[in-house]
Amino acid sequence: MDNNAKIKQVFCHALGIQPEQVTDDLTYNTIEQWDSTAHMILVAELEDSFDVMLDTDDIIDMSTVGKAKEILAKYDVQF
Amino acid sequence: MTSNSDPNSLKGKSVLVTGATGEIGQAIVAACLKSGASVFANARDEDKLAPLLDSWAGKVVPLIYDVTDEKAVKEQFRQIQKMQMQSDIGPLHGLVNNAGVMFEAPITVSSMDKLKEQLNINFLAPYQHMQLACRLMARQRKGSIVNVLSQVGELGSSGMSAYASSKAALKGATVSLAKELAPVGIRVNGVAPGFIDTAMTRHYDQERRDIVLQRIVMKRAGTPADVAKAVSFLLSNQSAYTTGHILPVDGAFCP
Repeated sequence: MDNNAKIKQVFCHALGIQPEQVTDDLTYNTIEQWDSTAHMILVAELEDSFDVMLDTDDIIDMSTVGKAKEILAKYDVQF
Repeated sequence: MTSNSDPNSLKGKSVLVTGATGEIGQAIVAACLKSGASVFANARDEDKLAPLLDSWAGKVVPLIYDVTDEKAVKEQFRQIQKMQMQSDIGPLHGLVNNAGVMFEAPITVSSMDKLKEQLNINFLAPYQHMQLACRLMARQRKGSIVNVLSQVGELGSSGMSAYASSKAALKGATVSLAKELAPVGIRVNGVAPGFIDTAMTRHYDQERRDIVLQRIVMKRAGTPADVAKAVSFLLSNQSAYTTGHILPVDGAFCP
C-alpha cells in the first residue's frame, strides 16, 4: 500500500468516514466526525501507521488532509 | 501471581513511573510489578536507579532523563513508542506522574526562581508527560493516568504556597483531562498523600512531627506503600468507573 492509500485509510478509520470524503481539502472541525476527540485518535493512528512522533506544533497545524501530508513529509514520509 | 481475569492485573501492559528512585516511586514500581505490569522507571540519576533494578522482580526498563527537559521527554516517549509493542513489555497502559520536589518557605523569602522550579517539576513536566502518554494510550482506546498530588495542594499549608500552587495546578489538569480524555477511554485520577514518612518529611524534628500527627485521625504517618496501593488501585481495572477523582491517602488529615 502506498502512503497516499495509507493516509486515506487512517483518516477513514480514525474519523469513521468514507474514502471519497478524504480529499486534501478536508478540514478539521468542518465535519462532525472530525472533532477534537477524533483529532487525538487521528494523530495517534498517524503516528502508529507512519512510525513517527509528531511535535505539538505540527499537531496544532494539522488542519487539513493536505497539511497532514506536508507535515508527515517533514518526518521523511513521502507522498 | 496475577492473571488477566484478576481486576488488579496489569499483565501484558506497561506503566511509566517518574521519580522511580524516591521512596514513594520505589513503592509504586514494586506495586506495578506485583500486578504483572512492565515498568518504564524514570530517574535522573543512573547511579541511584541501577542498584534498584536488581531488587525489583519483573520487567523494568530504566529511563534516565530529567523530567523538565522537554526534548529529552519527547525522545523517551519515542523510545516507549518503539518498545511498547515488544511482547515482553506491552502497550503503555499507565502513567504515574510521581516525580516532584517540595519547597518550604514563607512568601517573603520565596524567590521567583524557586516558584518556577516548583511549577516546572511539579506541574509542567507532568503536563508534558500526559500530553505524550495520552497519544500512545489513544491507540489502545484505554489507559490510566495517576498524578501524585498532595493534601497540601488540596487544603493549603502555611509556608508552602509555592509547592501547594504547583500541586493545585496539577489537580486542575487532572480533573479537566479526566473529562477531555474519557471519550478515548483514558482515565485520569490523582492521589493526594498527607504526611508520609519519606526523606521529604524525615527532617522534621520530633516536636514538629508530633504537632502534625495530632492532626491526623489515624495518629500515624503514612508509608510509601500506602500511597503505592492507592496508585495501583487507580491504575487497575478495579477502578474502571473512576475518573477525575482525587483519592486522599492521609489517614484523615484535619488542617
